[in-house]
Amino acid sequence: MNTYKQPLRALFRTNNSLASTMFARTLATATSEPAAPEKAPRIKEFQIYRWNPDDPSSKPHMQTYSVDLNACGPMMLDALLKIKNEQDSTLTLRRSCREGICGSCAMNINGTNTLACLCRINTDTAQTTKVYPLPHMFVIKDLVPDLTQFYKQYKSIKPYLQRTDYPEDGRETLQSIADRKKLDGLYECILCACCSTSCPSYWWNQSEYLGPAILLQTYRWLADSRDHATAERKLALQNSMSLYRCHTIMNCSKTCPKGLNPGLAIARIKKSMAL
Amino acid sequence: MVVARKKGRLTGLQRDVLSMYRSCLRAIRVKPAESRHNFLQFTRLQFRQHLTVPKSDFTTIEYLLRRGRNQLETYSNPGVRNVGI
Amino acid sequence: MSALRAFASPLRAAISRPCLSAARPAFSAPAVRHLGIPPLIPQPPGGIVGTVNDAAKVPPPDKFHGSYHWTFERIIAIGLIPLTVAPFVSTTAFSPAIDSILVSSLLVHSYYGFQSCIIDYIPLREFGKVHHVCMYLLLAGTVVTGYGFYKLETEDVGLAGTIAKVWTA
Repeated sequence: MNTYKQPLRALFRTNNSLASTMFARTLATATSEPAAPEKAPRIKEFQIYRWNPDDPSSKPHMQTYSVDLNACGPMMLDALLKIKNEQDSTLTLRRSCREGICGSCAMNINGTNTLACLCRINTDTAQTTKVYPLPHMFVIKDLVPDLTQFYKQYKSIKPYLQRTDYPEDGRETLQSIADRKKLDGLYECILCACCSTSCPSYWWNQSEYLGPAILLQTYRWLADSRDHATAERKLALQNSMSLYRCHTIMNCSKTCPKGLNPGLAIARIKKSMAL
Repeated sequence: MVVARKKGRLTGLQRDVLSMYRSCLRAIRVKPAESRHNFLQFTRLQFRQHLTVPKSDFTTIEYLLRRGRNQLETYSNPGVRNVGI
Repeated sequence: MSALRAFASPLRAAISRPCLSAARPAFSAPAVRHLGIPPLIPQPPGGIVGTVNDAAKVPPPDKFHGSYHWTFERIIAIGLIPLTVAPFVSTTAFSPAIDSILVSSLLVHSYYGFQSCIIDYIPLREFGKVHHVCMYLLLAGTVVTGYGFYKLETEDVGLAGTIAKVWTA
């Protein structure tokens, strides 16, 4: 009996001692560093567009920041906020919901208009990630573009239900399930302006052409079975600039961070207005 | 943009700045009498602090005009009855 | 739902996206400059007319610049497809009537194409008279080309015939 128990006990003993040393190490590290196993830092460089309106005659420039990806969330917004929190509090950007429903953090990341909160950081540390504000917009500060004209255009399409009469019973205007289905892919638009600012036609004729985002919204009201102002809405588009500056370039559909298809919506408006 | 012009004739941008100043003065006229002086001082300060911008720096002047227009619109609101410097 | 979106995004990122290299805001770019030329007519600061809270102005409706124009444009473009293919497929000599239809719709098609370019790059609101001058130049060019095509159709072998001759020469 004893002959084979002996080595077993030895084993236990060693195990015990191993456990005690491990415990000691966790105690030691708990006070200084997190218990996570140490990884080599993954330093990623971010080049960010900076421009300070308080010194208006200064030129915009690209500023480089290094972030350890091990200590940062997976999304671009995490990196930007980490930079803002820990390195440079003067970095200015719009953000709100951090989950792609508010459309505040729209910016140009590595040459593509997208929402910073829905865009993963490219984990290849050899490459620098470049962040610009939305292209071809007036910049207010750093990554904040001036969207005044965009919202003015949104207002001009009267983005609300227009009816000549309301149900007798004074309750809500009803809609069939099939009619409601027509609004899928339209109502999800959060007006982040990614599509409009990726459209070359919108770059050249911003003050007259409505741009994909606003036209998608126009179609959302044209397609709504409860709306009675279809004729007026279509008449407002009857000119060479508002709608027909769309040349089906389709940058809008490729760039939409919500996966919508403004190009298709515009094509449907054109089709419904043909003759 | 560099065109030989008569001495004393203003460029388009300079005229824009002057017209902006004039519309500021016009906006001050509808403010309450006791705060008009403050508004005038404020307007002058806003223009004076950018006196050093060279007249060939179109980008900056265009930016300042854009910002000035927005500021004018905000301060023109009848709800704004006084301004402190 | 939004969390799902967040997880779906790397997949979307993997699919190729348009590279907007030209889209980056040019350093110190002021107002929009068409073909590098500053606007002849001074534009309001930031292109904004009226107050920030006013809706953008809706231009007066004109169907001949809107839907009628677009529909006619498309009819010409679609009609050009069979007209272009026809001479290749036909074994007999094609009638001058079909050839003149091809030539005239080709002319109208390119007129509309250039007209679009002028509206895009020499917009009326920024260039005023120059915009109209360009439109008249385009019209004059189209008329001259049309006269040339008329000569080609009536006194020569027509467009398809000319191309066939050049091809075999």
